Amino acid sequence: MRALVIDDSRVMRRIVAGILEDLGYEVQQAGHGREGLDVLNGGWVPELACVDWNMPVMDGLQFVSAVRSNPAWRQVTIMMVTSESEHGQIVRALAAGAHEYVIKPFTADAIRDKLALLGLLPEEVVL
Amino acid sequence: MTELHDTGERRRTSDTPPSITDLIDEETVRSIVQEAWSALIGEDELLVPLPGGLPENAVSSWVHVAGPWNGIVVLTCGRSTAEQLSRELLKEHAPPVIEDEDIEDALGELANVVGGNVKAVLPGPSALGLPEVGSAPVAGSDTRRVDLLWRGQSLTISVQGSAGAPLDQ
Repeated sequence: MRALVIDDSRVMRRIVAGILEDLGYEVQQAGHGREGLDVLNGGWVPELACVDWNMPVMDGLQFVSAVRSNPAWRQVTIMMVTSESEHGQIVRALAAGAHEYVIKPFTADAIRDKLALLGLLPEEVVL
Repeated sequence: MTELHDTGERRRTSDTPPSITDLIDEETVRSIVQEAWSALIGEDELLVPLPGGLPENAVSSWVHVAGPWNGIVVLTCGRSTAEQLSRELLKEHAPPVIEDEDIEDALGELANVVGGNVKAVLPGPSALGLPEVGSAPVAGSDTRRVDLLWRGQSLTISVQGSAGAPLDQ
């Protein structure tokens, strides 16, 4: 399985990517939404995108809207991973097309539990 | 023609923005920071509520909150503490040498996480800014400050109202 991690923090990208790689994911990273779209436009379309909200150039909500407007990227499950924890923000993200929402701070177990809910744990991890 | 409804709300020119000390107490700030440390640094990482004094080479990271309450949430600690925090954040993914860019990035992300959760308990809706790193913005009187020790090293979290701290430093 493939995952795209989009966060303007290099440290946070490494943390999330590390958790996903430990679960067996092949991971690419992007520093903001526009870079994330460049990855998709380049033909590397993942099953999962973990997206921060507040980023320069293109924020997470704009990225979600852009992905959802392209039917070719329908397969991409989007999980927001962000410190935006206001109820209204969560509703906005889900309404825009995100499937799940993880509030920072999070643990590796929290990410794993969300992926299990989404049916996105690689088979070797589930077994 | 648009019909205007009287909502009953009145705003007077004498209205002042809410003081941060009326909006959030020390215990709430401490619990937010402890939750961030437990999740990101390690579940056994305890923050002790004691002042310790910051070193001269202290570095700060902060995020702006803009909404019914305006201000910044600031994390300050010594440079070596910041480097240790970066290493603990990355754990087994940490490179052999932690670069300055990684230290600033890690400190900024910690301020972002703490700031986001502080914002959640303040009146909203509010917008959270991108993290900034540098010399500590000057704290004014409208400040809720919490002094903590992590592994015996000092760090402070201060929630500073915009009336008390110039934001464009």
